[in-house]
Amino acid sequence: MAHPSQLGFQDAASPVMEELLHFHDHTLMIVFLISTLVLYIIVAMVVTKLTDKLILDSQEIEIIWTLLPAIILILIALPSLRILYLMDEINDPHLTIKAMGHQWYWSYEYTDYEDLGFDSYMIPTQDLTPGQFRLLETDHRMVIPVESPVRILVSADDVLHSWAVPCLGIKMDAVPGRLNQTAFITSRPGVFYGQCSEICGANHSFMPIVVEAVRLEHFENWSSMMLEDT
Amino acid sequence: MLRLTSSRLGSLLAGRPTAALTFSIKGRAASQQSHEVSEPVDMSRPMYYDRVDMPLPDKPYKDVLSEAEQKLKQKEKGPWSQLTNEEKVALYRLKFCQSYSEMRAPSAEWKTVLGGMLFFIGFTGLVVWWQRIYVYPPSPRTLDGDWKAMQLQRMLDMRINPVEGLSAKWDYDKGQWK
Repeated sequence: MAHPSQLGFQDAASPVMEELLHFHDHTLMIVFLISTLVLYIIVAMVVTKLTDKLILDSQEIEIIWTLLPAIILILIALPSLRILYLMDEINDPHLTIKAMGHQWYWSYEYTDYEDLGFDSYMIPTQDLTPGQFRLLETDHRMVIPVESPVRILVSADDVLHSWAVPCLGIKMDAVPGRLNQTAFITSRPGVFYGQCSEICGANHSFMPIVVEAVRLEHFENWSSMMLEDT
Repeated sequence: MLRLTSSRLGSLLAGRPTAALTFSIKGRAASQQSHEVSEPVDMSRPMYYDRVDMPLPDKPYKDVLSEAEQKLKQKEKGPWSQLTNEEKVALYRLKFCQSYSEMRAPSAEWKTVLGGMLFFIGFTGLVVWWQRIYVYPPSPRTLDGDWKAMQLQRMLDMRINPVEGLSAKWDYDKGQWK
């Protein structure tokens, strides 16, 4: 989750998000350079006392300021496409989870071996225990084994939702009648928070997502316990 | 519509060419004693302008010269070393309305703009302050000091953002910020 007044990205919890962070640094540096140059030119144009009414054209500078942006765009596009294809690599998942969006909660189904399914509602503010995070905590978390490739199939039961967890670098729209697939692998154990990212009605801001990555034996204990409860 | 007396209108129409021009176009307006907010100017004829990037206007500033001024112009046709400084300045002022330093002289407009800006920003601040007292609902209890402290401790215990973010800046051995 973000700390208060955080402006930048959260730390990555998956390799794809690490790549996205580096790509963002690279592209933002280019953006800052171009913006600084343009701002300097604007200020220089405004404060200059020089005038030349007879400038008509200049082939040399026109060539430069056509070629240079094209080169910059290529320098941005190459890493971007690399990450795009990286995200789609076949990764042979160990686990498949279905995340279904409802108004206004998520439900998770682990149906690889047994039939495990549960709903995940936000904990209302008045029911929080001291120290819990307002509008982010849920009664049941989506628990996964750490450092195992996981496939998520995202869909919805009623209207559009979107399953998003920023530190994993995932956002996938939940469309009724459609299965959207995404995959990830967590590089460290921890609890990762996200929020519904497609307007879906009155409580769109109140259906968060919590992913908990734990060691495999803890995951096995948890899933046995959840099966007993249901 | 502003109404001018005919005497004021007469003083506006100073030069002969302007008089000829405006009587032809605005003869009706003059007789009705009405006045346009921006008078139409015939841009196809030579005109005088004060422009920093165009130093030689189409025509001199003063076309209609008094007797003394006409004598000065005659004197100008001779050697210029015989002109006094005042005469040179007078000749300049016949030709041009504003000098370069007058054209470039800054105005005090920025003070009005800045003052107006600050006034409205201050007024907005007052509105926001009033809203905080009379309009806003009470803050959720999760923004109380002790809750935020417990929340921060929980975030550190959960190792939120341990690479470069929050937990990376906490020294777990010493129990203090790095």
